[in-house]
Amino acid sequence: MAASDLHFLTVAEASRLIAARKLSPVELTEAHLDRIAALDDQLDSFVTLTADRARAEARAAEAAIAADGPRTRLHGIPYSLKDIYDTAGIRTTAQSKLLADNVPTRDAACQEKLAAAGGVLLGKNATWEFAHGGPSWDVLFPPARNPWNRDYSPAGSSSGSSAAVAAGFAPATFGSDTGGSIRGPAAACGIAGLKPTYGLVSRRGVIPNCFSHDHAGPLAWTAEDVAILMQIIAGHDPEDPGSLDVPVPDFTTALTGDVSGLVIGVPWRWLEEEAPLQPATRAAFDAALGVFRDLGAEIRPVSLPPIQQFEDAKKTIAVVELFTIHGPDLRTRPELFGSSLRYRIIAGGLVRAEEYVWAMRQRTVLARAMQSVMATVDVLMLPTQEPAGKLEPIDPATLFTKPSFTTAFNVGGNPALSLCCGFAENGMPFSLQIVGKLLDDANVLRVGDAYEKATPWRDRRPSLVARATA
Amino acid sequence: MADDPTQTDIAWLARQAGLPDLPPEYYPQLAGAYANVRRMVSRLPRDWPHGAEPAHVFVPTTFLPGKD
Repeated sequence: MAASDLHFLTVAEASRLIAARKLSPVELTEAHLDRIAALDDQLDSFVTLTADRARAEARAAEAAIAADGPRTRLHGIPYSLKDIYDTAGIRTTAQSKLLADNVPTRDAACQEKLAAAGGVLLGKNATWEFAHGGPSWDVLFPPARNPWNRDYSPAGSSSGSSAAVAAGFAPATFGSDTGGSIRGPAAACGIAGLKPTYGLVSRRGVIPNCFSHDHAGPLAWTAEDVAILMQIIAGHDPEDPGSLDVPVPDFTTALTGDVSGLVIGVPWRWLEEEAPLQPATRAAFDAALGVFRDLGAEIRPVSLPPIQQFEDAKKTIAVVELFTIHGPDLRTRPELFGSSLRYRIIAGGLVRAEEYVWAMRQRTVLARAMQSVMATVDVLMLPTQEPAGKLEPIDPATLFTKPSFTTAFNVGGNPALSLCCGFAENGMPFSLQIVGKLLDDANVLRVGDAYEKATPWRDRRPSLVARATA
Repeated sequence: MADDPTQTDIAWLARQAGLPDLPPEYYPQLAGAYANVRRMVSRLPRDWPHGAEPAHVFVPTTFLPGKD
């Protein structure tokens, strides 16, 4: 294989080649470092590069694999972390001037697992400030850009993570999702991103956004890769109070490619009345449903509670929890926050305790309603969002006013996967969201994998060209 | 409070939010965000039975030392 092709290998492809001794982890790592060096000045997807460490880890992996074979499917394969995952000895900033000099002394639980699996850490990816406010030009680093068109937004908040995968900078990245921050960027960049069931992946050492809705999860080019990564990071962690003590399924053997008999629910009222889709997005979604019909699935309408109810409950809870986290800094050094994040948290101190409990009671009601609907189908399907728009400042008030197709599944805690389901006339990706029953993450990945294997969308990659040097 | 809060109104809000020293240049942000948060909170149901448990119930076994 030509060295120039290595950066677009998936995790599954690279792990097979490494196991067959046809690919060197050192060579693979160098290919990614070379590509980042050549092109990331166009995308700003990395805020910290750990090249020396990556080379050392790749050499160690190569030696270990030569002696004993790979110990996991990530052994010798590069990955990167959203810059809210604590990394011992490596600056972890959350893109904020407030943490410009923050160097953790302990790795996040996920990073501990990834290192133990033999992965090669390339560095830390750009995020919206504290995974919440953005895009921002007044924070520690510039916002990441979309590899399909650098004038367009990669969405947020796991923006650098998704841009890095799509650009071929890293075959695997890890982000966080509190209202859609894995799925939105995955959708915008045409990749796969999973918000796992709440509590299935430890959040210990991931800088919090909103404790009660935070999820950590993987992003990669394919659903198959996401399954491989889930196998490594899922599992109970007694140091995360929200962690579920349940058996971890075999995510990869679930990928049978067979979805015959699958019952798919579609919340048409959301898509046609509450937040109507653009015609092209609707056409792409209809086409995706057609693929599933051809594969033997059945499509049924379902009725979920109104989107606005999920938004109001989640965002009331979020603004209070955010204020609780950031209040001390708002009191003493408010100027160090980016304007977008400051707007989104500053009124959290004005929500009364009674109102916070109302919102939590409403979450109980909505979560029960969600699980009742999920009991009637195998999965839900809907677009993750409209295709990406231009990268430009967003009125921060839209956090409170704009409904999303993702937040409801943070409220319910359900697993939700975003995939690419085609491309708009301007070349930006369309997205498909697949939502599962609680702890049915493996089934969600099975459905996503079957769709990807039945469609041509994984064959197209962004075209990035290195700038000419003087 | 009126739809267009005065500087005095916003200074009072800042004190209520536990931000008594908030620089006045951030008052417009506080007023704008507050209006949005009030609209959101006003849509929450408020007539709940006494026993309606919120989503965050306390599970004491979560906090056992050395549970695993």
